[in-house]
Amino acid sequence: MTRVIAITGKGGTGKTAIAALLIRYLTKGNKIVLAIDADPDTNLPETLGCEAETGIGDMREFMLNERDNLPPDVNKESIFESKIYEVLTEMPGYDLLVMGRPEGSGCYCYANNLLRGIMDRLVKNYDVVIIDTAAGLEHFSRKIIRDVDDLIVVTDGSRRGLRTGERIRELVGELEANVKNIYVIANKVTEANKDKISETAKELKLELIGAVEVDEMIQERDLVGSPLFDLPDDSVAVREIENIAKKLKL
Amino acid sequence: MADEFPFEISPMFEGERVRKDGMYVELAGPKSKGFELVKSVEMDEIEDGKFTLIGPDLSAMEEGSRHPIAMIYRIAGELVEQDLEAIVERRNHDFQNYIQGVMHLNQRYDIWIRVSKDAMKKGLNSFEQIAKATMMLFKNELPFIEKIEATYITDLAEVEKELDGAIATYTARDERTRDLHDEDVDVFYGCTLCQSFAPTNVCVVTPDRISLCGAINWFDGRAAAKVDPEGPQFAIEKGEIIDAEGGEYSGVNDLAKSLSNGEYDRIKIHSFFEYPHTSCGCFEVVGFYIPEVDGIGWVDRDFTGTAPNGLPFSTMAGQTGGGKQIVGFLGIGINYFRSPKFIETDGGWDRVVWMPKHLKDKVLADIPEDIVDKVATEEDATDLESLKAFLTEKKHPILERWVEEEEEDEEVVEETTTAASTMQMPTMTAGAPMMPAGLGLGSGSGSGGSGVKITLKNAKVSIDRVIIKKSE
Repeated sequence: MTRVIAITGKGGTGKTAIAALLIRYLTKGNKIVLAIDADPDTNLPETLGCEAETGIGDMREFMLNERDNLPPDVNKESIFESKIYEVLTEMPGYDLLVMGRPEGSGCYCYANNLLRGIMDRLVKNYDVVIIDTAAGLEHFSRKIIRDVDDLIVVTDGSRRGLRTGERIRELVGELEANVKNIYVIANKVTEANKDKISETAKELKLELIGAVEVDEMIQERDLVGSPLFDLPDDSVAVREIENIAKKLKL
Repeated sequence: MADEFPFEISPMFEGERVRKDGMYVELAGPKSKGFELVKSVEMDEIEDGKFTLIGPDLSAMEEGSRHPIAMIYRIAGELVEQDLEAIVERRNHDFQNYIQGVMHLNQRYDIWIRVSKDAMKKGLNSFEQIAKATMMLFKNELPFIEKIEATYITDLAEVEKELDGAIATYTARDERTRDLHDEDVDVFYGCTLCQSFAPTNVCVVTPDRISLCGAINWFDGRAAAKVDPEGPQFAIEKGEIIDAEGGEYSGVNDLAKSLSNGEYDRIKIHSFFEYPHTSCGCFEVVGFYIPEVDGIGWVDRDFTGTAPNGLPFSTMAGQTGGGKQIVGFLGIGINYFRSPKFIETDGGWDRVVWMPKHLKDKVLADIPEDIVDKVATEEDATDLESLKAFLTEKKHPILERWVEEEEEDEEVVEETTTAASTMQMPTMTAGAPMMPAGLGLGSGSGSGGSGVKITLKNAKVSIDRVIIKKSE
């Protein structure tokens, strides 16, 4: 069975870094991972250290633009599937898929319906799927990815950040999305705010599954824009992610 | 299933992806060339089960390499005919995906195949094994195939040599497919994807009518309904023909009743004025009746200006959408302009008076030659006055209707219904020509939308009988 984990949070909280480090942990453990960048402000590829020029959004547009030019009796799902496979970036241990451009003004009902079927089949090929997604959860409301085992909200420790977690929990309820568990990871934690964060989390009834301390190595890499995938094993963040992954039974 | 093969064969392996990490060899695909083709031949032309390979075999290919591939199957049998080639060819995708360790994507000259390292480890080493397994599946699953022979080509020059012939076959096939019409089939397809926001919408897809969103044609409906008959696209038995020209069928009417929860019980697939198709909200183009010229204008989503009736797409779309049957407006998919049955019962292209230039250009080749220059665009007409002038100058066939109507107006006062109302024609002004009979009658109670203002100006209304009954 494929484990599907979505990582969300406000911009700037470091959810992409957490996603990249989880993927790093999983591939080191010989798990085959599908990484999905569902944030319109695509930066998971860079954080992982790979390139992805086009995404699902472009292929969906291709299908919409070309549909009247295709032979009438071709199987559109099979063409679409092949197009999705074309935009998969294949790396050792993981494949990366970028959602990319959002929907335009036309009707996407049919294209999304095909996409749902294609994604259902694709996802089954992996041990774990990690989705880096913006707080709005659009892709879940479109049900492009139907079932999520764990939704992880990354917060930077501020009360506002944790409120995001609370709001996302409410949103999930409204979406009727199939989400089994919701956890919170506090990121960029310092000695000064550590206790306050866990208190607030308790108050908001959010399960805090880990607290990643400020990691100088990550800060340095962020500055020059180099990937986090090859961080050394003794990095503070890498070690905490390992603990979190174990708690998640990954 | 088959002990003779070093791999398992099962539908279970459909959707199995061979990743780059686990791939032994890649065949055709976006970075190489190839195709698959099924040809029907006479019984004595082939030898059943025979396999020929032109070019290097799997065992001679280096791990991680990429090669072109052509797969040509020749089939024969008493019931085998040319029309079946496409359907049989399509199954190559399914059958090869049944083979564990083989990934087959796409179709025709876009095929993309990968063979896994695991499969090679388990003993797969020749294309002959794949071809024999595929041929076995063809014969088991499609019993009308009595004999089958396969030729695989992995030599680039040979693949290229055969490719032109394959493309010619696909093109000829497409021409035959485009020649399929409503009368040639017993089954149409319905779609409920839009019912979440247009609950009474009844979407009917026929060979001559693409879905309103432009995304689903009859073949798409057929493909989807076959995979999941309970899914959003499903078959509709045509039933009895009630009106061949208007496109009314008992099967469609029955479906309309159930899908719309009794709101609508008649739909004429190719009619603009009488029991028109419902409009969901996803339509690419909306047609609007212009009573002043007794013609129909069309405006699409990409047109940001206002049509000669003074309204932009968004306003008309708002009035039309929601899954209602609205006489005077009709949502369609762009490809419907290419249909030979395009609003046939209302005069077809002879009834079209206006459309945005970019939309006209898009379907230019499909507009009948004698009318193409007579259909105005925003460059020719932006309001009713300039539209009338343009149509008059170009001698648009719609002028004949003006004459007829003027005569009728004078002579026959108490004939049919002539209720010119502003109900669905907000810009109608005094002196409008007669509307087609039946207009405004087709929509059942409650279907015209709520809160409408009815203004009758200069109207000549004559009614033979009004029967008011309690609805059943």
